[in-house]
Amino acid sequence: MTNIDVTLKNIMSIEGAIAAALVDYTSGMTLGVLGGGPDLDITVAAAGNTDVVRAKLRTIQLLGLGEGIEDMLITLDTQYHIIRPLRGANGQGLFLYLALSKSRSNLALARHHLRLAEEKLEL
Amino acid sequence: MTARGRRTEAGAALPRRNERLADDAPPHPAAETRPVPVEGPLATARGLLSDLQLAVPGVRGCVLAGVDGLLITHNLPGGRDAHDVSALAATTAGLGRQSGMALGQGGFRDATIRSLGGYFTVYLIGGHALLAVLGDDGLNVARLHIEAVPVVEKLADLLPR
Repeated sequence: MTNIDVTLKNIMSIEGAIAAALVDYTSGMTLGVLGGGPDLDITVAAAGNTDVVRAKLRTIQLLGLGEGIEDMLITLDTQYHIIRPLRGANGQGLFLYLALSKSRSNLALARHHLRLAEEKLEL
Repeated sequence: MTARGRRTEAGAALPRRNERLADDAPPHPAAETRPVPVEGPLATARGLLSDLQLAVPGVRGCVLAGVDGLLITHNLPGGRDAHDVSALAATTAGLGRQSGMALGQGGFRDATIRSLGGYFTVYLIGGHALLAVLGDDGLNVARLHIEAVPVVEKLADLLPR
């Protein structure tokens, strides 16, 4: 089991990682961030993607699908953004956020590593 | 008891808010109807408040006040007294200022109160005015802090120094 800082370090060791964050989508505030910089303000990304997660959860609820979100992939011109809501009992209301360079990363491998990181995360 | 009733009972010792009121504040339900200006700095300021409300889901309304707690303008929905919110904003900012001074952490910047049913956030505008934002419980408060920065800067340019 790993804490938040170690989890974010593990996520940032994924090939092509640009920035990672653990975000509380009830408030949009971050519990931890790593990476980012002048090109990508991670707190802005966290607050903005909070609305993305809320909108998708609400849509699933309105559709009456009764399903949870495993992860969300947003593909930009040069980046992948992966959002992974935490499914465990202690992770309610949180999501992991990872920005990847499209050219330097392997998407399948990144998703796999992100799932492993979530499983190991202890809050 | 309404705020108006309190003001009447407070007597002549307290400054009368109505005397300091900007002439073109949006009509308060209890006040006589005044025409709302379509241009000028106050109309621009109210436009900025509405922009902030539209930009951040969960914002119920905004109040622009002086650091003395007197209302400048607002876009609150009916039923809430903007004068009272202005006074609350000044009290909150005062507490924040005292905390910063006592702890040696510098001047006041913003303060957020989270109650069981919502948020109340106060931003200092250029040292002489306050922006108070009322939000419901589902407010994305991190996003509010991001979106409020340019609004506070624009309001600081707009208001007389």
